[in-house]
Amino acid sequence: MAVINMAAKYKTMVKEPGIPGVLKMSEEKFIFIPNDPRSAMKLNVDFRSIKGHKFSKDGSKQALLNLTQDSEKGGGYIFEFDNFSNRNVCRDFVGKVLGKFQALMSSKQNEQPVPEKPAAAIHGEQLSTTEMEHRMKLLREDSELQKLHKQFVIGGVLTESEFWATRKSLLDDDAQRTSKQQAGFKSAMLADVRPLTDGRTNKVTFSLTPEIIHQIFAEKPAVHRAFLNFVPSKMTEKDFWTKYCRAEYLHRTKNSVAAAAEAANDEELAVFLKNDDILANEARRKIRRVDPTLDMEADLGDDYIHLPDHGLPQDGSKETADAENDIARRTLSQDLNRHAAVVLEGRALDVELGDTRTVAEALARSKRAVSFAETSDEKTNQERLKRVSRMTEIEDLQAPYSLPYAPLCIKDPREYFDLQQANALKAFGDTDAGTKPIDCSLSTEEAYVHLMEQISEMKVRGLNNPVVQPEAALKVLNGLNQYLSSTKYHLGKNPQESVLDRLPNRTKDELMHHWTSIQELLRHFWSSYPITTAYLYNKVLRLKDAMAQIYHKLQETKESVQSDFRHQVSRLVQPMLQALDAAFAHYDTEQQKRYNKSGNKPNGFVQ
Amino acid sequence: MKFLIDDVTVYFPYDYIYPEQYEYMVELKRALDARGHCLLEMPTGTGKTVALLSLISSYALARPSPPLKLLYCTRTVHEMEKTLAELRLLHSHLPPTHRSLALGLSSRKNLCVNPIALSSASRDSVDSACRRLTASWVRAAAAEQPPGAVPTCPFFEAYDRAASSGPDAVLLPPGVYTLGDLRALGREKGWCPYFLARQMIRYANVVVYSYQYLLDPKVAGIISREMQRECVVVFDEAHNIDNVCIEALSVSVRRQTLDGATRNLHRMAQEIDRFKATDASRLRAEYNRLVEGLAQRGNLALTDAWLANPALPDDILKEAVPGNIRRAEHFLSVLRRLVQYLKGRLQTENVETERPVDFVASVSSQAGIDQKMLRFCYDRLHSLMLTLEITDTDEFLHIQTICDFATLVGTYMQGFSIIIEPFDERMPHIPDPVLQLSCHDASLAIKPVFDRFQSVIITSGTLSPIDLYPRLLNFNPVISRSFTMSLTRDCICPMVLTRGSDQLPVSTKFDMRSDPGVVRNYGRLLLEMVAAVPDGIVCFFVSYSYMDGIVNSWNEMGILQDVMQHKLVFIETQDVVETTLALDNYRRACDCGRGAVFFSVARGKVAEGIDFDRHYGRLVIMFGVPFQYTLSRILIARLEYLRNTFQIKEGDFLTFDALRQAAQCVGRVIRSKADYGMMIFADKRYSRHDKRSKLPGWILSHLRDAHLNLSTDMALHIAREFLRRMAQPYDKAGTGGRKTLLSQEDLEKMGEGVMDMF
Repeated sequence: MAVINMAAKYKTMVKEPGIPGVLKMSEEKFIFIPNDPRSAMKLNVDFRSIKGHKFSKDGSKQALLNLTQDSEKGGGYIFEFDNFSNRNVCRDFVGKVLGKFQALMSSKQNEQPVPEKPAAAIHGEQLSTTEMEHRMKLLREDSELQKLHKQFVIGGVLTESEFWATRKSLLDDDAQRTSKQQAGFKSAMLADVRPLTDGRTNKVTFSLTPEIIHQIFAEKPAVHRAFLNFVPSKMTEKDFWTKYCRAEYLHRTKNSVAAAAEAANDEELAVFLKNDDILANEARRKIRRVDPTLDMEADLGDDYIHLPDHGLPQDGSKETADAENDIARRTLSQDLNRHAAVVLEGRALDVELGDTRTVAEALARSKRAVSFAETSDEKTNQERLKRVSRMTEIEDLQAPYSLPYAPLCIKDPREYFDLQQANALKAFGDTDAGTKPIDCSLSTEEAYVHLMEQISEMKVRGLNNPVVQPEAALKVLNGLNQYLSSTKYHLGKNPQESVLDRLPNRTKDELMHHWTSIQELLRHFWSSYPITTAYLYNKVLRLKDAMAQIYHKLQETKESVQSDFRHQVSRLVQPMLQALDAAFAHYDTEQQKRYNKSGNKPNGFVQ
Repeated sequence: MKFLIDDVTVYFPYDYIYPEQYEYMVELKRALDARGHCLLEMPTGTGKTVALLSLISSYALARPSPPLKLLYCTRTVHEMEKTLAELRLLHSHLPPTHRSLALGLSSRKNLCVNPIALSSASRDSVDSACRRLTASWVRAAAAEQPPGAVPTCPFFEAYDRAASSGPDAVLLPPGVYTLGDLRALGREKGWCPYFLARQMIRYANVVVYSYQYLLDPKVAGIISREMQRECVVVFDEAHNIDNVCIEALSVSVRRQTLDGATRNLHRMAQEIDRFKATDASRLRAEYNRLVEGLAQRGNLALTDAWLANPALPDDILKEAVPGNIRRAEHFLSVLRRLVQYLKGRLQTENVETERPVDFVASVSSQAGIDQKMLRFCYDRLHSLMLTLEITDTDEFLHIQTICDFATLVGTYMQGFSIIIEPFDERMPHIPDPVLQLSCHDASLAIKPVFDRFQSVIITSGTLSPIDLYPRLLNFNPVISRSFTMSLTRDCICPMVLTRGSDQLPVSTKFDMRSDPGVVRNYGRLLLEMVAAVPDGIVCFFVSYSYMDGIVNSWNEMGILQDVMQHKLVFIETQDVVETTLALDNYRRACDCGRGAVFFSVARGKVAEGIDFDRHYGRLVIMFGVPFQYTLSRILIARLEYLRNTFQIKEGDFLTFDALRQAAQCVGRVIRSKADYGMMIFADKRYSRHDKRSKLPGWILSHLRDAHLNLSTDMALHIAREFLRRMAQPYDKAGTGGRKTLLSQEDLEKMGEGVMDMF
């Protein structure tokens, strides 16, 4: 990769006019030299400090490139270029450099003796830039994770891949979610394309997107078939859609005479205007499997009162009488019903929307599969019967059905129930605090004495004065509150939280951070055993050092806190220290074993 | 559970029973004891059907002789299926020794399993395809020819062979047979399910079929002729029964009908010529038979039966066919003259209304056809078609319509009118002449049913005002009662919405319905509700044309798109297949939690028989008051008849009719007491007392004064409150003194209590 020199303007804000100059980019760093030599705005920045880059869209007002630094430090370097091609050259260069750099960074920390491996690792890392972006996104979203990442990966305790290896689920989960869930059809009737007129000329514009086209195919099988038949053998795709839009327009204007005339002249156009025979067949097939309790077609077949010309004329029966026209009069209601049916069916298409032809073919395939699947009839019939009988029963006149259910899965029962109890307690505290007798507090006797005094006083004075003296009330209330919060603590509902809440914020944050760090380190530590490779050995060494540091820090925190919290803090720190001690102990014994083994080994090998 | 009502052990298929169901059974039993007719109104959602079925079945078991048969009439085939499903549930709770046979009956279209006949699209073509394969002369021809030369129906042949050794050979084992079961059985055994069912209804204990099989003389004449007197006839969901009755006796003639009839006559003339040349003896034999006074050919083969005489059985003349139409050619020329005369009448420029007497006189003077000839038209045509061995009956529907018309107009002088309209009022520029013979007297068609059967039970969720029905149908019920609903909680929430969110009144009154402000306010209402109410919402509009208009306007305004953001939209259309599929999809959308809105029409097919219970309908919005089209000539003539005969005021009848439709629409949301639903009447006219008071009592009792004059935002607030309240658990059995759910013990205690009193 060579060096790039490009004229650009440097800005700290997008709105600023910027300082004209030359941007020089090499693989290691970029340098900005202003045209005006007096300007102090010289830049010399290492790419190491650049975390990402943003750029304005092609065709937007300015050709911008923004090299962002760490989000914490804030800000970045914004360059404006004369035109987009220049910007794009720089953008691509920066992209490459950053990608390489990130990989390099991780490989550097891979203190591995074998040179091929990191190369492969780099390669692997580089392959998936989307993966990289995904990780960046995860870090951005989760500040906790970001902190850990910074501490260990940047600090060199863990490699990038090690760090993410324990979070596979996080990565996979997201990836799976995006792939598994398919979006159904939009509820909106996209296929009902509305023409746009510009108001001055007689031109009418229809705009079709791949999404719309897909919906048209799904809702109008005749158009779909015509597309498969005609394009591209008979006409181009553009001609096809032009014709379709023309037919739509004729339909929309309700000009049946013009439509008939056009259809007579142009048989391809007629396809769009005629009744959809595929739909009619489908309807005939579907009507056989319809629930008999709503089969109105059967009813029509039984109705001898309304023989033609018998009975009284019904509302609207006239309109159907003369609809024998060849040019079908498709109504909005039909479109609505059809659309809703298609939306309900969902879309079983795993093709990217884009190329119309592939979409059309995929749709045809999926339809064939569906009609194949529908052949097994017997079972659905059984099911239908069962449903009908279920439907007829009056539910509250009999014992309830035991419906199949999935038991509620509580991930962390302790957390769940504690939360509930805490809530209950809170509500309890809110309402009942005033009435709760202070039976076991220190001030029982005092209160009793006080109350007696009050009563005797009242007996003398009558009820004119306030029953309770304000000071006394406050005192009682305070005692009560203290009692409540202390019960919360004593009952051990969630000691961590209530204790932590009392600690100064700084200490609390520190503790929390240490705790997560320890968890992370321990996870890696324990997963490294048994040590089989030199790489793992090194890793454990690194981890041990890091843990030792934290151990130290913990001790410091414990000692540094104010005396009134010391006890609580040490209680909190205790389990962490114990966990670390256990790890160290394990390390030591392993080390001992290892030593013994390696001490024995030569003998064994000699023989 | 099992309990006693007086001396009858009632088998009830559930562990508990609602108190109103118990009361309903008690009343029903009294009616059966008295062998009289009764009229019972019970709110929807209280298990009317199961109470009815269980009491009548138990009653039949308790009084085995003479065997009591239940004829259960539903309005639609899907209601028939629902009833049969309930019957099946009941049957599993009856003692095993008392199993009975119950089956549903429908047309060939719904029962046929022959693939050739089934491939026809319409009902009439299935009927004629069946005749082509099974008519007696076709079968006779097939027997003479080598096998395979003349196609016949293998299913019918197999059934006929099995049945020839006596009816026991084909007797179905006891059980409940739905249409689907009959078809499956037919396929399995290779028997024709349609004729099997036709045969079986003589032996069945319970027959479930549609109203018309009893009310329409054309169908009842072939199907229900042989039913004995010991029948209990139930008309369920009978609030519209008067309309069914008058429809069964109404015929209209259009220009297309007359053209078709002319073609039919032409073809019949050709056939006659052909027979004259080849087989003149047949025509002569027919003539001789007619001379002897037999309109029908004695015992008709089961498969030859066609639609029967449109006049009621008591009114059919038992005389010989008049001499001047006995000869086929003469009859044809009479029909030709009649068609010609009708064509002339259709050319009028003005609306004409005539009484049948005047019409018959005019036919007699101008076409030379007297009343008696008119009355015999149908029978003579039927005989001629049998003689000519015509199998494709679907082609001859036009001439049949003309003969139906002639027979009816020649038979009835009272309660009918003839209306000739040169065009539709709503589209005056399109000439569409139509001659309608419309019946106004609902009691005509139902009279033979009341006369023939010992008990007729008319029941529905909305029969208010209950005293009107005996007058309309002209009968004397021994029991006439309206039940209220005992509720554990207020699980229905009716509201009257009079104003939109901008506080302007909303209504579908003629002068307001196309106002964009009203359209928008209705749209806003729907939009707000769609966002607040879970699962299914049903909307009813006053007519198809109004619905089309308003949905199009919503589409233009973008309201529909916003609605679709929350729920899928389904619409009832004129096409039943499409509507059925839309309903099916609607249910699936509600089942899967997507939620949906269904747009329907108050007098349409969906409003008649589809339930929107439970999550299929948490809210129903009635947009407007579903008045009939008041300018319709038929309606005007009917109103006049009602005023003259029953002293019912026009306005009262129209309001009664509109409100029973509205009540029927909103009543579809609730099915049991565990269910809940809201009902919004969105029209300012509902707030007026004269309209509102026509609603059935069970709705009115839940309609609070505070909910009588709401705007959209207030309605939304109430809806939210209501839904939140309904989501709470509740005590099903009811608390305190009023029990809403009775167990067997409770009933036994009640029985003892009654004993103590006496």
